[in-house]
Amino acid sequence: MFHVLIISLPYLLKGAAITVWLSLATISLGTLLGFALGTVGAVGPRPVRAAVAVYVFVLRGVPILVVMFLGYYVFPALGYKVDAYVAVGAAMVVYVGAFVSEIVRGAILAVPSSQIAAARSLGMRRWPMLREVVLPQAFRLATPPLLNTALTTVKQTSYVSVVGAWELSYAAREVVERTLAAFEIFLGVMVLYFIICYPLSLAARHLERRYAFAS
Amino acid sequence: MGSFAELMHFAERYLPYLAGGFAVTLAIAALSVPLALGWSLPILLCRLARRRWLAGAAAAYIEVMRNTPLLIQMYLIYFGLPLFHVFLSGFMCGVLAITLQHGAFLAEVLRAGVESVSARQWDAARAIGMRSRTAFRLVVLPQALVKMLPPLGNQLIVLVKDTSLVSAIGVMEVTLSGKMIIERTGGSYEVFVAVALFYLTMTTALGAGLRVAERRLAVRFG
Repeated sequence: MFHVLIISLPYLLKGAAITVWLSLATISLGTLLGFALGTVGAVGPRPVRAAVAVYVFVLRGVPILVVMFLGYYVFPALGYKVDAYVAVGAAMVVYVGAFVSEIVRGAILAVPSSQIAAARSLGMRRWPMLREVVLPQAFRLATPPLLNTALTTVKQTSYVSVVGAWELSYAAREVVERTLAAFEIFLGVMVLYFIICYPLSLAARHLERRYAFAS
Repeated sequence: MGSFAELMHFAERYLPYLAGGFAVTLAIAALSVPLALGWSLPILLCRLARRRWLAGAAAAYIEVMRNTPLLIQMYLIYFGLPLFHVFLSGFMCGVLAITLQHGAFLAEVLRAGVESVSARQWDAARAIGMRSRTAFRLVVLPQALVKMLPPLGNQLIVLVKDTSLVSAIGVMEVTLSGKMIIERTGGSYEVFVAVALFYLTMTTALGAGLRVAERRLAVRFG
């Protein structure tokens, strides 16, 4: 029954490899952007904090697919010729950055103020205090939601196929157009996504439980 | 989109095309939100059931929904169902896929809310002679509602944003309308700025409404 799937598997796996690469690139760059924005969003000067808040508010209120289309059409309009992967990848990084920044900001603000008072009373300056006392504790609080964001991002890489970048979902549609075996191909592709996503989701839940217990 | 005149020109030219898309997106959201909330209840009841196989089946369902993209689920329904001689419109397939996926997420939110109410509240209610059903209704549920409303609201906002995916199966909602305008009229990315503003207005209004509900509930039960 599943022979079309078995024959198409090498092609689909090529798509899965692109999905994994796209996920790794957008998650790592988006997380870097989000850490920078979240940190200045929590402890930066007031106008910077306000700017970060606006950035987060706008992006969290808009679907990622719309941001991808914006990225896809905005580069040519501004006179840049870029690869479809770069356009939708940039859109994803900007989007993931907003979500990560909100998590990081929340985690920094959740570090008890007594910790900051203690660091001050030891005579620590602002930056060493942030680096040695606040950020390590915030990081611990932020890890489970960050993993959940990474999981969501992996799933969202499938949306780039709607805009026109080739990866696993795009490959699946091509195979279905050629073979009409919609049910077995999409079911098989769901399994491939599950294999990529499940470890992330297990790790997120494991850490959630561990940290909930520790606190 | 520099000057005011250009802005007016833009609005005059594209808004009539987008208006139909706005209406379809609103219809998908208005249909999916109550359906997903309704579907989450049986999942929650199975997940909390004492029968092992029932709880296990619900947990497996939630895992599948959590770890696979909504887009592929939508494709499976839209392109897969006709093979079994079930013919639904793209619109209905989209609503069905969103309901199945978000029902699972909403059930998890509800479960976290119910489980966040401390066991001592149960014990106290039972100790003053309440039946377990009465205890759930009068003691546990009000407290759980207050706690679950913020994450529930977040999940509903994600649901509303996910309606944009229905564009991938050819339903002329606002995202696909935007793409069509660009492809057919030579419009530019500004069209998607308008689309983004539409979604932002919708999610912000929903968020504001939920915050009002949170405050009311907190006053009543908090």
